[in-house]
Amino acid sequence: MPRSYEEEEEDVLKSEKGAKVFRRLVRQILSHRRDSAYLIIAVVVTAIAGTLYPLALGLAINGVINRNFTDLYIFGSAFLGFYIIQFFSNRIRTISSTGVAQKTIKELRDRAFENVQRVPVSFFGKVKTGYLISRITNDAETLSEFLTFQIPQVVSGISTVIVSISIMFYLDFNLTLYALIVIPLLSGFTVSIQRMVRRNYLRTRRTIAAITGNLAENISGIRAIKSFNVEDRMATRFDGLNNDNFEANLKAARLSSIYGAIIRVIEATGIAIVLIAGAQQLLAGAISVGILVSFVVYVQEFFDPVTQLSQLYNSYQSSMVGITRIYGIIDSTPDEGAKAGNKKVESFSGSIKFNNVSFYYGDSPALKDINIEIKKGEKIGIVGHTGAGKTTFSNLLLKFYNPTSGSIFIDGVDLKTIDTNTYRHLIAPVLQEPFMFRGSIIENIKTFFPEATDEMIIDKAKQFGLYPLFENLESGLNSEIGEMGRNLSEGQRQAISILRAFIRDPEILIMDEPTSQIDPYSEKLIISSLNSFLKGKTLILITHRFSMISLVDRVISFENGEKVEEGTFSELLNSNGVFRKMYNIQYNTGA
Amino acid sequence: MNNPINLRRRIHNIIAVLYPLYFGSKYLKGKRWVLYSVISISIITSATRLLIPVLIGDAVSSIQSLNFATLEYFAILILIVSAVSGFFQFFVNYGSQYISQLYAYGMRKNIFDHLMKKKFLFFETQTSGDLLSRSTMDVDATRNFIMNTTNQLLPTLFMILFSVVFLFILDPIYSLIFIVTVPALILTGVVFQRKQRLHWRKIRTYYGDMNEELQENIVGNRVVRGFSIEDEEIKKFSSTTNSYFDEYMDVARLRGFYNNLMPLTISIAATAILLYGGYTSIINASQVGNLVAAVNIFSIMTFPISFLGRLIVFSENARAGIQRINVVLSDEMQEDIQGPNRTKHSGDLEIKNVSFQRGKRYIFRGVNLKIPQGEIVCITGKTASGKSSFVNLIPRFYEPTSGIISIGGRDISQISLSELRRTVALVPQEITLLSGTIMDNITLSDTTLSTEAVVKAARIADIGDFVDSLPEKYNTRVGERGITLSGGQRQRVAIARAIVAEPKILILDDATSSVDPETELEILKKVKEEMSGTTVLIVTHRDSAIKFADRVLRLQNGSVEEIFDITSDLKGITDGYTFNNGGDSNAA
Ligand SMILES: Nc1ncnc2c1ncn2[C@@H]1O[C@H](COP(=O)(O)OP(=O)(O)OP(=O)(O)O)[C@@H](O)[C@H]1O
Ligand SMILES: Nc1ncnc2c1ncn2[C@@H]1O[C@H](COP(=O)(O)OP(=O)(O)OP(=O)(O)O)[C@@H](O)[C@H]1O
Ligand SMILES: [Mg+2]
Ligand SMILES: [Mg+2]
Repeated sequence: MPRSYEEEEEDVLKSEKGAKVFRRLVRQILSHRRDSAYLIIAVVVTAIAGTLYPLALGLAINGVINRNFTDLYIFGSAFLGFYIIQFFSNRIRTISSTGVAQKTIKELRDRAFENVQRVPVSFFGKVKTGYLISRITNDAETLSEFLTFQIPQVVSGISTVIVSISIMFYLDFNLTLYALIVIPLLSGFTVSIQRMVRRNYLRTRRTIAAITGNLAENISGIRAIKSFNVEDRMATRFDGLNNDNFEANLKAARLSSIYGAIIRVIEATGIAIVLIAGAQQLLAGAISVGILVSFVVYVQEFFDPVTQLSQLYNSYQSSMVGITRIYGIIDSTPDEGAKAGNKKVESFSGSIKFNNVSFYYGDSPALKDINIEIKKGEKIGIVGHTGAGKTTFSNLLLKFYNPTSGSIFIDGVDLKTIDTNTYRHLIAPVLQEPFMFRGSIIENIKTFFPEATDEMIIDKAKQFGLYPLFENLESGLNSEIGEMGRNLSEGQRQAISILRAFIRDPEILIMDEPTSQIDPYSEKLIISSLNSFLKGKTLILITHRFSMISLVDRVISFENGEKVEEGTFSELLNSNGVFRKMYNIQYNTGA
Repeated sequence: MNNPINLRRRIHNIIAVLYPLYFGSKYLKGKRWVLYSVISISIITSATRLLIPVLIGDAVSSIQSLNFATLEYFAILILIVSAVSGFFQFFVNYGSQYISQLYAYGMRKNIFDHLMKKKFLFFETQTSGDLLSRSTMDVDATRNFIMNTTNQLLPTLFMILFSVVFLFILDPIYSLIFIVTVPALILTGVVFQRKQRLHWRKIRTYYGDMNEELQENIVGNRVVRGFSIEDEEIKKFSSTTNSYFDEYMDVARLRGFYNNLMPLTISIAATAILLYGGYTSIINASQVGNLVAAVNIFSIMTFPISFLGRLIVFSENARAGIQRINVVLSDEMQEDIQGPNRTKHSGDLEIKNVSFQRGKRYIFRGVNLKIPQGEIVCITGKTASGKSSFVNLIPRFYEPTSGIISIGGRDISQISLSELRRTVALVPQEITLLSGTIMDNITLSDTTLSTEAVVKAARIADIGDFVDSLPEKYNTRVGERGITLSGGQRQRVAIARAIVAEPKILILDDATSSVDPETELEILKKVKEEMSGTTVLIVTHRDSAIKFADRVLRLQNGSVEEIFDITSDLKGITDGYTFNNGGDSNAA
């Protein structure tokens, strides 16, 4: 899915894919039946009224020439009447087109968001955050212009052209042919430069995408950039991209400006032809002066829809690229864990069993042939060097990923066939990277536990020895924590992560280095509060902190993705493995 | 309207519509003449465009009087005038694109430069999504307005003026009828603008909310899944998109009325002219040419005038964008990143009476400290005691509230930031890797670094073996925020990145928290051996690291105390909170 911008764009524009996507979009639009019915009626009425008023004008002028007051008044009022009809139909058109457009956009956004919540975790390793966000916000927004203004404009343009040509033929066949002489000229010219327009246009899109990407990266990496004082280099790089975009736009502008100028000349040619040919027709007695006036207005009115259509082409392209991507998100395969046939679980009563489990990230193995059994109520500690596969192990347990080979059994049932949602309800994780939503600490907890009260949260924080960590904040647990908790110290962020898991009061607690940045004193307070809390719970604790090991019954050590040791604390300490070496380093002088 | 202040405000409101153009023109540097030329040329194009209906009218008169010689003359004139108009129109279109793109270019550059100069504190007050949308969407809103003003709004205004003149020449009453509509049009525009302003503001807010919710749910996807709150989040998002939708519909209802009122007003006037002109023509038995010309002028004006309504929305968006851009462009929270940067100072560090405040709260007060070059110092202290705040003062990521920090005997506030930050390298607690290759990340400070230097730094940071085990070695891409690496691997890449430039002072802010103690010790040993002479400050909670240090400091209750130095005995500190023998108690 995350192919290059260009590839995607070319793909949509070249093949029939664009048309297919467009049909899907149209079906979606039409599914808002009432709005689209109103819209179509309004557009057609507007177009018909729009094509009839030049006729009324011509007839009124004829009335003037023939010195006929009644004709002047009747057709003069009709002239206004058509405008009034247009006022009302345009009003309906504005409202219903916005309705159709915004409903469609909302639907797209909601569905895309929903699927973002349903796809497997591995999806996020493949697609950049910025990419997803800008598809669901920006691209959907681009669609707004297209759906609200341009599509109705096309429909109205086409109906205008059809109705006015019919009227013209009805009024005078020969003069109509003259009036239409410029049409091949106009369309030939438009088509001939379209390829160039498209190429230029693609370049502007590509260069602006590069700018946005670069900016996003620089903003998220600003701390590193400032730390290493490479602001100038980043600015130079940005300037290069900025300049590319500037030039691409100028090139595109040159072409479109020439187009605009030439269109105007073609339009004048059309008028001149109609005038001269009209004079002949007039002489021959085929038409009246008033009708000639109508013709002149019709010719002028042709040009609006045609120039609009050519502008629409660009907009159509960018909308199709955008919508293809949004559909891409909506259609991404959701996690299998929610499949209908999966077994729903209510409780955990027996054991967790890893049976020859291996896991690969792409081609590189992160876990190899793991066999582990964890009984309900057991407390397991997991240790190992950095990169050994500890987090990966917990990821499998949380069902963020499925094993590449082998199986995990929960109470004897293959985890793959268990309904993910009910399964995760049994678990509370403390992930290695604390993550929080915006808002205050309390609001943050409430995001996860909407029914929790302030008092209850404060009580829990106190119960688990976490409260003192927030005491020196200006407003305690009501302090705003900033984007992703940036206004907290790292230890405080971990504390929130821990609190969240404890409030959930799960059957299985999975903690990945929960206290790595918390000072030993505070850690001790937390540990001492846990004895009663953990009763009956199953604990899987990844840690480098030997102080935490007091909580566990059994320790497993990992090395290069393999399980290398397993036993009680004292067993491992007495054997001569990884665990003992690590222990020694922490408690002896490092020899 | 009778109140002069009220009137002034109204006039101000009308002029304010054009403010973004004024604002943008400041970014044209040396190319303002393009703007002025575009404006002048658009006077010509407006005049020539309006001349065409007049000529058509004349042509019709010729036809009516069966004067074909003059008809041909007028037909050719129409062609010539159109060619002239088209020719100049090219300059207007191209010129308006040119200046609007020039503005966008200059403004983006300006914003970027300002962003780079902002202090850390600034980034704590802004969300990244907001900053991004300022530099993209908000700039675009102004660009869009500048373009549409120069090729639509101004020409339309000129055309309105010329219409008055031309209509006056055709028949003074025609122009009178037209003039009457102008205030009505303006009033419609102003009321429309005022009514929809609030809605647009809300639309922007909801849009921002949408962005944030997305960002949080994507970055935090594991937490959301881990706690199975997907459905709640879906509902929340849907209610945001709903509010967004409702506001849009409110705007549509306003637009449906006011935006279509404008062309209706025009056509009422056109009908008045048709009836009045028709009546007088019949009475006076005069030619219909003038009447045709006048009605034609109106029909030419309908589209541009109805477009005015959209321009008002554009202006509204542009002005809101400018307000937000100005937050970045203001001189507040800027630091001077320029200055000489070739010299590195010595690693002597002295801290004199330094206090630091966040908001109203002191994090620490009156800290005094001297660290001679080459010493390895550990800093401990409870969570949130201010360790990170403290070490972040040294490269001046934050400024102390009072007191002086000096390096090599020089006050750091007198050293250029570039020099300072070459001398001091800090590995933060929260790592940000850039999404390039491992090589890109390590050579961030200096792309000209030799491969040997990179390999050496990687070896010291104990990441070299791991990198060598990867199929693409240093050219392995690390994914967004380094997502394809384990926590400890990410930290070690960051350490390599810091030491590769051979700083005089190296600060590790709990930078090995995800690294196992054994590897951590390896790293510290190598740092000591291979970077001797470098002052190293290590923020840590780990006993193993603490035992490695020459001196240990503890931040407590807002002050720094020395709890252990090379000369004293280890035993003195084990009674503190720093050490914990939890393992032993379990062994039983
Ligand atoms: N998303 C990913 N894509 C590719 N490789 C990955 C990904 N996540 C981890 N790895 C790799 O898998 C291996 C195991 O990583 P894991 O995160 O499980 O280690 P860990 O034991 O938790 O280490 P640490 O103690 O540093 O957190 C590492 O070599 C890592 O580079
Ligand atoms: N960007 C910030 N904005 C506002 N307050 C902050 C910010 N960063 C930290 N603080 C607050 O300042 C205090 C000291 O934080 P600091 O990060 O210096 O602590 P620390 O000793 O490094 O803690 P830890 O061991 O958890 O990393 C804390 O109460 C914290 O909440
Ligand atoms: Mg890990
Ligand atoms: Mg800290």
